[in-house]
Amino acid sequence: VRTRPGYAAPVASRCYSHGKVETDEEFNARWVTYFSKPDIDGWELRKGMNTLIGYDLVPEPKVLDSALRACRRLNDLASAIRILEAVKDKAGPHKDIYPYLIQELQPTLAELGISTPEELGIDKS
Amino acid sequence: MSLAKPMMRGLLAKRLRFHLPIAFGLSFVAAIAFKYMVTEPRKQAYADFYKQYDSVKEFNAMREAGIFQSVRPSGE
Repeated sequence: VRTRPGYAAPVASRCYSHGKVETDEEFNARWVTYFSKPDIDGWELRKGMNTLIGYDLVPEPKVLDSALRACRRLNDLASAIRILEAVKDKAGPHKDIYPYLIQELQPTLAELGISTPEELGIDKS
Repeated sequence: MSLAKPMMRGLLAKRLRFHLPIAFGLSFVAAIAFKYMVTEPRKQAYADFYKQYDSVKEFNAMREAGIFQSVRPSGE
Protein backbone atom coordinates (compact mmCIF):
# COMPACT_ATOMS: atom_id res chain seq x y z
CA VAL A 1 0.00 0.00 0.00
CA ARG A 2 1.51 3.31 -1.04
CA THR A 3 1.95 5.94 1.65
CA ARG A 4 0.31 8.68 -0.40
CA PRO A 5 -3.45 9.23 0.11
CA GLY A 6 -5.76 7.17 -2.07
CA TYR A 7 -8.06 10.03 -3.14
CA ALA A 8 -7.12 12.02 -6.24
CA ALA A 9 -8.65 15.33 -5.16
CA PRO A 10 -6.40 17.18 -2.71
CA VAL A 11 -3.99 19.56 -4.35
CA ALA A 12 -3.04 21.67 -1.33
CA SER A 13 0.42 20.23 -1.21
CA ARG A 14 0.68 19.49 2.48
CA CYS A 15 0.16 15.86 3.41
CA TYR A 16 -1.22 16.08 6.93
CA SER A 17 -3.20 13.09 8.10
CA HIS A 18 -5.47 15.19 10.28
CA GLY A 19 -7.08 18.45 9.28
CA LYS A 20 -9.65 19.25 6.65
CA VAL A 21 -8.90 18.36 3.04
CA GLU A 22 -9.99 21.03 0.58
CA THR A 23 -12.60 19.88 -1.92
CA ASP A 24 -12.22 20.47 -5.65
CA GLU A 25 -14.96 23.10 -5.53
CA GLU A 26 -13.31 24.97 -2.66
CA PHE A 27 -10.03 24.88 -4.56
CA ASN A 28 -11.66 26.24 -7.73
CA ALA A 29 -13.52 28.93 -5.81
CA ARG A 30 -10.31 30.04 -4.10
CA TRP A 31 -8.54 30.47 -7.42
CA VAL A 32 -11.47 32.17 -9.14
CA THR A 33 -11.49 34.65 -6.26
CA TYR A 34 -7.73 35.14 -6.54
CA PHE A 35 -7.90 36.12 -10.20
CA SER A 36 -11.09 38.16 -9.72
CA LYS A 37 -9.33 40.80 -7.65
CA PRO A 38 -10.30 44.01 -9.46
CA ASP A 39 -6.90 45.66 -9.02
CA ILE A 40 -4.79 42.54 -9.49
CA ASP A 41 -1.32 43.42 -10.73
CA GLY A 42 0.96 41.75 -13.23
CA TRP A 43 3.08 40.10 -10.59
CA GLU A 44 0.07 38.56 -8.87
CA LEU A 45 -1.22 37.30 -12.20
CA ARG A 46 2.10 35.66 -13.06
CA LYS A 47 2.55 34.31 -9.53
CA GLY A 48 -0.95 32.90 -9.51
CA MET A 49 -0.54 31.24 -12.88
CA ASN A 50 2.87 29.78 -12.04
CA THR A 51 1.56 28.38 -8.76
CA LEU A 52 -1.52 26.98 -10.47
CA ILE A 53 0.54 25.35 -13.20
CA GLY A 54 2.69 23.70 -10.54
CA TYR A 55 -0.23 21.60 -9.29
CA ASP A 56 -1.05 18.09 -10.49
CA LEU A 57 -4.15 19.18 -12.37
CA VAL A 58 -5.31 21.08 -15.44
CA PRO A 59 -7.19 24.18 -14.25
CA GLU A 60 -10.96 24.20 -14.62
CA PRO A 61 -12.54 26.41 -17.27
CA LYS A 62 -14.00 28.73 -14.65
CA VAL A 63 -10.57 29.32 -13.10
CA LEU A 64 -9.07 30.00 -16.53
CA ASP A 65 -11.96 32.33 -17.34
CA SER A 66 -11.16 34.34 -14.22
CA ALA A 67 -7.47 34.43 -15.15
CA LEU A 68 -8.22 35.54 -18.72
CA ARG A 69 -10.43 38.35 -17.42
CA ALA A 70 -7.57 39.41 -15.16
CA CYS A 71 -5.37 39.57 -18.29
CA ARG A 72 -8.04 41.77 -19.89
CA ARG A 73 -7.99 44.14 -16.91
CA LEU A 74 -4.21 44.30 -17.23
CA ASN A 75 -4.36 44.79 -21.02
CA ASP A 76 -2.13 41.73 -21.30
CA LEU A 77 -3.12 39.77 -24.40
CA ALA A 78 0.25 38.02 -24.49
CA SER A 79 -0.33 36.44 -21.09
CA ALA A 80 -3.85 35.43 -22.09
CA ILE A 81 -2.57 33.47 -25.07
CA ARG A 82 0.29 32.10 -22.99
CA ILE A 83 -2.22 30.76 -20.49
CA LEU A 84 -3.85 28.78 -23.28
CA GLU A 85 -0.48 27.39 -24.36
CA ALA A 86 0.33 26.50 -20.75
CA VAL A 87 -2.82 24.52 -20.12
CA LYS A 88 -2.40 22.66 -23.37
CA ASP A 89 1.06 21.67 -22.23
CA LYS A 90 -0.22 20.74 -18.76
CA ALA A 91 -2.57 18.21 -20.31
CA GLY A 92 0.48 16.33 -21.57
CA PRO A 93 -0.46 13.16 -23.43
CA HIS A 94 -4.17 13.57 -22.66
CA LYS A 95 -5.27 15.12 -25.94
CA ASP A 96 -8.94 15.35 -25.02
CA ILE A 97 -8.47 18.01 -22.36
CA TYR A 98 -7.43 21.06 -24.41
CA PRO A 99 -10.26 20.83 -26.97
CA TYR A 100 -12.70 20.57 -24.08
CA LEU A 101 -11.21 23.68 -22.44
CA ILE A 102 -11.39 25.68 -25.67
CA GLN A 103 -14.99 24.56 -26.12
CA GLU A 104 -15.87 25.75 -22.62
CA LEU A 105 -13.93 28.99 -22.96
CA GLN A 106 -15.22 29.87 -26.43
CA PRO A 107 -17.72 32.51 -25.18
CA THR A 108 -15.04 34.16 -23.04
CA LEU A 109 -12.47 34.10 -25.83
CA ALA A 110 -14.98 35.68 -28.20
CA GLU A 111 -16.06 38.31 -25.68
CA LEU A 112 -12.50 39.31 -24.78
CA GLY A 113 -11.15 39.01 -28.31
CA ILE A 114 -8.50 36.42 -27.44
CA SER A 115 -7.16 34.34 -30.31
CA THR A 116 -6.04 30.79 -29.62
CA PRO A 117 -2.45 29.76 -30.46
CA GLU A 118 -3.93 27.56 -33.19
CA GLU A 119 -5.74 30.50 -34.80
CA LEU A 120 -2.49 32.46 -34.76
CA GLY A 121 -0.51 29.56 -36.18
CA ILE A 122 1.96 29.66 -33.32
CA ASP A 123 1.14 26.20 -32.00
CA LYS A 124 3.47 24.54 -34.50
CA SER A 125 7.17 25.04 -33.87
CA MET B 1 -21.05 17.64 -30.93
CA SER B 2 -20.31 18.90 -27.42
CA LEU B 3 -17.25 17.36 -25.77
CA ALA B 4 -17.67 15.67 -22.41
CA LYS B 5 -15.61 16.83 -19.46
CA PRO B 6 -12.47 14.72 -19.26
CA MET B 7 -10.53 13.81 -16.14
CA MET B 8 -8.39 16.86 -15.33
CA ARG B 9 -7.04 16.22 -11.84
CA GLY B 10 -4.47 13.87 -10.45
CA LEU B 11 -3.18 12.79 -13.85
CA LEU B 12 0.43 12.58 -12.69
CA ALA B 13 -0.57 10.77 -9.50
CA LYS B 14 -2.44 8.21 -11.57
CA ARG B 15 0.54 7.74 -13.88
CA LEU B 16 2.93 7.32 -10.97
CA ARG B 17 0.62 4.88 -9.16
CA PHE B 18 0.87 2.74 -12.26
CA HIS B 19 4.49 3.19 -13.30
CA LEU B 20 6.38 3.51 -10.01
CA PRO B 21 5.67 -0.04 -8.75
CA ILE B 22 6.73 -1.30 -12.19
CA ALA B 23 9.87 0.83 -12.07
CA PHE B 24 10.81 -0.38 -8.61
CA GLY B 25 9.92 -3.94 -9.54
CA LEU B 26 12.01 -3.95 -12.70
CA SER B 27 14.94 -2.31 -10.89
CA PHE B 28 14.74 -4.96 -8.20
CA VAL B 29 14.63 -7.72 -10.82
CA ALA B 30 17.60 -6.15 -12.61
CA ALA B 31 19.57 -6.10 -9.37
CA ILE B 32 18.70 -9.73 -8.58
CA ALA B 33 19.59 -10.78 -12.11
CA PHE B 34 22.92 -8.97 -11.93
CA LYS B 35 23.70 -10.56 -8.58
CA TYR B 36 23.06 -14.11 -9.76
CA MET B 37 24.38 -13.79 -13.29
CA VAL B 38 27.46 -11.66 -12.65
CA THR B 39 28.58 -11.25 -9.06
CA GLU B 40 27.93 -14.79 -7.83
CA PRO B 41 29.69 -16.49 -10.81
CA ARG B 42 32.55 -14.03 -10.38
CA LYS B 43 32.89 -14.81 -6.69
CA GLN B 44 32.72 -18.52 -7.48
CA ALA B 45 35.42 -18.15 -10.15
CA TYR B 46 37.73 -16.52 -7.60
CA ALA B 47 36.95 -19.19 -5.02
CA ASP B 48 37.64 -21.98 -7.52
CA PHE B 49 40.90 -20.38 -8.60
CA TYR B 50 42.20 -20.02 -5.07
CA LYS B 51 41.00 -23.40 -3.83
CA GLN B 52 43.93 -25.15 -5.58
CA TYR B 53 46.32 -22.21 -5.56
CA ASP B 54 49.85 -22.98 -4.43
CA SER B 55 51.31 -19.62 -3.54
CA VAL B 56 54.84 -20.96 -2.92
CA LYS B 57 54.96 -22.58 -6.36
CA GLU B 58 53.74 -19.37 -7.99
CA PHE B 59 56.28 -17.36 -6.01
CA ASN B 60 59.14 -19.58 -7.20
CA ALA B 61 58.00 -19.35 -10.80
CA MET B 62 58.00 -15.55 -10.51
CA ARG B 63 61.39 -15.65 -8.76
CA GLU B 64 62.94 -17.69 -11.58
CA ALA B 65 61.50 -15.24 -14.10
CA GLY B 66 63.70 -12.60 -12.40
CA ILE B 67 60.97 -10.05 -11.73
CA PHE B 68 61.79 -9.49 -8.04
CA GLN B 69 64.40 -7.12 -6.71
CA SER B 70 64.46 -8.48 -3.17
CA VAL B 71 65.29 -12.06 -4.17
CA ARG B 72 67.23 -13.20 -7.28
CA PRO B 73 66.64 -16.41 -9.29
CA SER B 74 68.17 -19.43 -7.53
CA GLY B 75 70.92 -19.71 -10.12
CA GLU B 76 72.59 -16.32 -9.40
